[in-house]
Order: sequence, then structure tokens, then C-alpha cells
Amino acid sequence: MTATTGNTSGISRIKRTRTVAKPTPSQLPYALLLLAAIIAFGFYLGSPKLALSWAISIALGLTLQRSRFCFTAAMRDPVLTGSTSLTKAVVVGLAVGTVGFSALQLGAYLKSGDMADAMKLVHLAPVGIHTAIGAFLFGIGAVIAGGCASGTLMRVGEGYAQNMIALVAFVAGSGLAAASWPIWRDLLGVNLADTVYLPTMLGGFLPALVVQFGLLFAIWLAADWWNKRKTSQS
Amino acid sequence: MTNLSSTTGRDANAAGSGGLRNNAVFKDLFVNPWTYVTGAVILALLNIALIASTGKGWGVTTAFAYWAGWIWNGVGGDAHNWAYFTEVAKAFNGENFNFLNDPASIMNLGIIAGAFLSVLLASQARFKGLKSGKQAVAAILGGLLMGFGARLAFGCNIGALFTALPSLSGQGWVFIVFIFLGAAVGSRLLVKYFI
Repeated sequence: MTATTGNTSGISRIKRTRTVAKPTPSQLPYALLLLAAIIAFGFYLGSPKLALSWAISIALGLTLQRSRFCFTAAMRDPVLTGSTSLTKAVVVGLAVGTVGFSALQLGAYLKSGDMADAMKLVHLAPVGIHTAIGAFLFGIGAVIAGGCASGTLMRVGEGYAQNMIALVAFVAGSGLAAASWPIWRDLLGVNLADTVYLPTMLGGFLPALVVQFGLLFAIWLAADWWNKRKTSQS
Repeated sequence: MTNLSSTTGRDANAAGSGGLRNNAVFKDLFVNPWTYVTGAVILALLNIALIASTGKGWGVTTAFAYWAGWIWNGVGGDAHNWAYFTEVAKAFNGENFNFLNDPASIMNLGIIAGAFLSVLLASQARFKGLKSGKQAVAAILGGLLMGFGARLAFGCNIGALFTALPSLSGQGWVFIVFIFLGAAVGSRLLVKYFI
């Protein structure tokens, strides 16, 4: 998804192309060496929780690379090329995630009858104007840098110099924002208590899940329609 | 193992390299790309496995703030009293907190290692240098924007979207709307200034 060389017209230059080295020597021996190092590092970490996180992250990196998964392109391609196949895939991922996450939360709630136990399994963060501004800036940055958070890490592993530079700037930007936090906290009125949990807001798991799956399905239908409209135009 | 042939093409299998590399099942799994939906479903299942086993879903960028803090401390600064670490991400000031016992930091490294393993298995690993100075400028600007944006929003496309939204957290829905609008603006900027 990084810009490719070739013709000069803007849009066709950023088509998602995959540059693959043609007859190359086998790199399988290096793969086995790396795998051995990965396993050794897992043992070196010492704690089962860290080793498990490490193993899952290896699988995440492998999956991202194998499926050429890119959240940035899922957000960008509908605007740029009209293609929504990645967008629809992201929606599918969000729906599958909802099944698992809500089942875990519901299980925790049923066990104790206390909503607080379900909410321990929620990625709760304050919501406000800062969420909108932050996400907006993040969207601009991800498209310009040629990769979001996961995409940048994945492409560093793939060997892209552009994403290595982006990662350094990403860390620098995170540090600058953290170091100047009081300015943004006061300017944007961040209140750590302003969290939103759909089942509490909408009065239960059932309405929350109806709304959640309804919205996801609506996005999927819109993306599907957009793709067909764009392809029939050209 | 980097800087091999730079010619491009679809099939990465050299004739005559034999064995595992030309095995049809191995090719389907580790050489030919998976579909987007396959990827999406596996990523979602891995995220569920992560929260079910460790109690915490996938997140990437809070660790980047820690990295910046550790680097700042390393060059003689003192990030321990940054308000962000005393008020929001308090783990930073926890006892013996460092890269090797922060699951998120380790996972970021693991994603890089996993992607690298993936290209090695396909025998497609090579260093891809910058194509223009513009790319460097775009990477720096984009990286800074992502770093800032993720702190303001309390997460990135992973924590604030891929984990927050399925966990029925309102943050995810606000984030997905505005990352989409940002990406639309970013696309215009990209076409106009960076390619």
C-alpha cells in the first residue's frame, strides 16, 4: 500500500501493489533461525502471561502480513479508489470481535450479577471532543505515513524504510503529546470519568447488541453498495 | 538476507529450489496471500484470545508513549513526573516497570518479528528503501500526527477501534467515524502533496 514507482497520475500510483522478489534464493533457513530466536525469547521472558502475549503478537504480525491487512487502506480506499473489500473485511472482524468480547462480558455479568465485572473486560476510555480530534488527526497521519499503528509495525517487519521513519516519528509524537499533556487536557476538557459503555447507556446487553450489530451491518451494506456504484461508473 | 533481487512479479518461487518451498500446502499457507476476510477473522479471534487469557485486549500506542518516556529518561530527562504518567498511564511509574515486563511493548516487537517471519517464510524479505525525499517528509509528518492523535483519543486504530468497538465501548464508535473523516482528508493531502 505504500506508493509505488511507475506512472505519474496520483491515484493509480497508490494502488495496493505487492512487490515480490522474483526468483529469489530460499530464505527458509533464516525463517527457521528467526523462529528459534522467537521461541527462545518467549522462554527468556519468564512469565506465562508475557510469553502468551508474545506468542499472540507473533501470530498477529504473521496474520497482518499474510492477509495484507491494512486499516488505513480500509478507510482510505473507499475515497481514493472506490474499493471497499478491505472495509467490509474490517467490519467482519469487528462483528466477530463483538461476539467474543460480549460473550466474555455477559459471562462475567451472569456469574456475579454485577455489571462492574463485565466492565473489567471493556476497553474503557474517556470519550469527548478529544476523541474526535485525536481520531481525525490519526486518520490524516495514517494515510500520509502509509500505515496505521499495526500497519506501521507490520511494514517495519517487511523492511520498508518509510515505515521505520514513521515509527520513530510516531514514538516522538506520542512523547510530545504525553509531555505536553496538561495543555490538551485543559484545552479539550478531558475528563477521565467520561466513559461510555453501550449496555449501561442503552439499558442492557440486548439493546446494545442490537444497535451494535445493526450499525455494523448498515456499514457493511453501505460499503457493498459504494463498491458496486464505483465499479459500475468506471 | 536483504537486498536480494529487486525485480517484481507475482510468483516468488524460484524454479528448482525444491522441497518445502514448492509444497502446495506450504505455498497456500505461507507464500500466497490470504484473503482480507481470513485476516480479519483471525485478528479478531486472536484479540478475543488475548483478552480472555490476560484480561486485556490488544493495544499498540500507549506503549509508544512509554518508549518515548524511557528514551527521555535515557538521555537524562525525567519523564516520571510528566502529567500523562502521573494522571493517565500510571503504569509507567510502577515499580520495576520496563520494556521487558510491559506486555504491550513486547507485543509491538512481536508484531514486527511476526511480519518479518512471514516474509522470510515466503522468501520475500528485502529492505525497501525510500523512493523520494517526499516519502521521508510524509513519514515524519504522518508519524507525529498519529502519535499526537492517539494520545488525545486514548488509543489508535487498534486500542480505540479494533479492541474498543467490539468491547461495546462508545469510544470505538466515535473513533471509527473520525478516523474515516481524517483518512478522507489525508487522502486528498497525499494525492496533492506527497506523490
